[in-house]
Amino acid sequence: MSNSTEKIYYDDDIVKKFTLATVGWALAAFVFGLLIALQLAYWPLNMNLEWVTFGRLRPLHTNAAIFAFAGNAIFAGIYYSTQRLLKTRMFSDTLSKIHFWGWQLIIVSAAITLPLGYTQSKEYAELEWPIDIAIAVIWVLFGLNFFMTLKRRREKHMYVAIWFYIATIITVGVLHIVNSIEIPVSMFQSYPVYAGIQDALVQWWYGHNAVAFFLTTPFLGLMYYFVPKAANRPIYSYRLSIIHFWSLVFIYIWAGPHHLLYTSLPDWAQTLGMVFSIMLWAPSWGGMINGLLTLKGSWGLLRTEPLLKFFVAALTFYGMATFEGPLLSIKSVSALGHYTDWIVGHVHAGALGWNGFLSFGMIYYLVPRLWKTEHYSKKLLENHFWISLVGVVLYYTSMVAAGITQGLMWRAVGKDGQLVYPDFIETVVRIVPLYWVRAIGGFLFIVGFVLMCYNLYKTIKNAPKPVVEVSEVKRSGYDEVVTETHRKLEGLGLTFSILTFLAIAVGSVIEIYPTLALNKYIRPEQIVEPYTPLELAGRDIYIKEGCYLCHSQQIRPIVSEVLRYGKASTVEESMYDRPFQWGSKRTGPDLARVGKKYPNLWHFSHMMDPRAVTPKSIMPNYPWLAEKKTDFLVLRKKLSVMHKLGVPYEQDVIANADIYAQKQAKGIAEDLEHNGGPKGLENKEIVALIAYIQSLGQKGKAQ
Amino acid sequence: MKQEGLAYFTDTYLTAIGLLIFFLFFCAVLLWINRKSAKQFYGKMEQIPLNDGEFIYERQ
Repeated sequence: MSNSTEKIYYDDDIVKKFTLATVGWALAAFVFGLLIALQLAYWPLNMNLEWVTFGRLRPLHTNAAIFAFAGNAIFAGIYYSTQRLLKTRMFSDTLSKIHFWGWQLIIVSAAITLPLGYTQSKEYAELEWPIDIAIAVIWVLFGLNFFMTLKRRREKHMYVAIWFYIATIITVGVLHIVNSIEIPVSMFQSYPVYAGIQDALVQWWYGHNAVAFFLTTPFLGLMYYFVPKAANRPIYSYRLSIIHFWSLVFIYIWAGPHHLLYTSLPDWAQTLGMVFSIMLWAPSWGGMINGLLTLKGSWGLLRTEPLLKFFVAALTFYGMATFEGPLLSIKSVSALGHYTDWIVGHVHAGALGWNGFLSFGMIYYLVPRLWKTEHYSKKLLENHFWISLVGVVLYYTSMVAAGITQGLMWRAVGKDGQLVYPDFIETVVRIVPLYWVRAIGGFLFIVGFVLMCYNLYKTIKNAPKPVVEVSEVKRSGYDEVVTETHRKLEGLGLTFSILTFLAIAVGSVIEIYPTLALNKYIRPEQIVEPYTPLELAGRDIYIKEGCYLCHSQQIRPIVSEVLRYGKASTVEESMYDRPFQWGSKRTGPDLARVGKKYPNLWHFSHMMDPRAVTPKSIMPNYPWLAEKKTDFLVLRKKLSVMHKLGVPYEQDVIANADIYAQKQAKGIAEDLEHNGGPKGLENKEIVALIAYIQSLGQKGKAQ
Repeated sequence: MKQEGLAYFTDTYLTAIGLLIFFLFFCAVLLWINRKSAKQFYGKMEQIPLNDGEFIYERQ
């Protein structure tokens, strides 16, 4: 029985669906990326429309790139390779279809809600709670389908690609659920249960590992399958792949705090993040070398099979990005690079070079096989590669140059002990030309991609009518007498999955558990006042408009920062911040202590037309803030949720939150009017936003 | 400033535990994959993706 040949039908229809979805959503992700790149180079492209301003579209771009483009690519590759590696059809076609359509529905809801401003403001986890629940459900169903397929496999031993898929499914589930614990305020708004440094740590534990377990481990699994397939030779070293897997899975989960170096996060967590990030160098390069050396002796194939070029370039970019990541995690390098465009360049070397090229290579491999035909044009494929490669190189080099230039200008302190470039805008104007270069790079990447779309369209159009293909497989590995623990392990899907879970759990628990005891880090004499109801309303508008995408609220204890922005931020100052607003990029200046720095009218003018007060500013106009009304009534609910989460609001303030807010708004509106601003702004969003901005840095005793 | 930084640095043992756990784990994996009998097994494992009967190009 065990060695008899069986006839099976692989479900390639689901692979086709995910492949086409990948291509479709990729176009959306790339076009939105180009649009926001152009908005930074030429601000009028924000068009004075709230739905298309940078702050609304940037999360749409990142979500589309990660979850729509890369997500669908992962699923296409996993469904194709898993069935073949396990010699079985997917467990349930219905679950596969629910996964496909559910995932597309989630993407569509993201595409609707994000431009409308429904966001949690946590990077790559912006989607609001109903969508969070949908993601969890669909992910669990995908996991169920995968693990049941694993259970019914005909190949007992699990090839290393399967290990990477297991790690992905388990870890992404854990990350998403832990980071999304939130209390709903309304249908489209919620507050996280974590606050301040807890929220920051949990979010970047998630954010970093979204990169690790959504953009790295599944793609490595795909690499371990598709590179040997395309080159028709086994992986260079299977041993190395095992070390690669376990080291990566174990180490990656610890590295999140490198996103928070020099912040008010406790030093031990920063050090932990830095050390483990540097350790990542070794397994990452082990994986890259393993992939590249698979082609040893077959390099000639690059001439005849241009799709291999995509794999080679992808692995090279993987190596480059995983060299640069640990480098940027060294505290002294982070001091220069953090908050600058260097990080944006780094991210895109990974996203375009690694994820993009690997996906393209995989799609070029899959389409002729799925549609039983040949490529329409290898020449177009070749052109796609070179044009997109030039695009990525232009993108990367321009952003690294912009980041280092701006970072050096921010930190320049003269002999007199003063900042050499005290006006932030000086440092922005200097790098705008590089924003144009980046946009050209992005444009070229899209040109290459359009060639691919045309090539695929013609390939599929010329394909013969689909026929159901039967595959003959033999059960394998089940008749062996297993005596060794190790070989048993590779045959035991459940045990293996539990071990993988433990590997990621160790780092997660050690890192997150201590910060749950927040009081340990709070100095009682530094405790701050919570936001007033109006300030809270303004804070939600700040989040809605995506201000955090260009303005940080975290002053690092670095001389130039203290000179520019004031005393370094403290743990206490964000202790009631749900969600935290530390930010990760400074396209504009830090706002942690901007409160009371300028009069109310300055802020009004700035929001209506930033260039009225800061010539050459690249910030969009926000005219709708002076037209849209603040929802005062919902404040009772908001304060009540905050109170439940431990913010010390008095019952009277909660019950009359709207009245308190209206009173404060009236004061600000009168001040605006008195100083020459327009009348009748007291119930407008702009007033709430001004109240919030004026409160920044004013709540604690550190300033 | 340095003093403030050090005041937070209260959980050094966590960093040490983390590193120790990983180091021991790494050593175990290293020993594990270099077992004497592993060579033949890995030789078989690495062929799994190539064993679905599909040959694309002639081997060089």
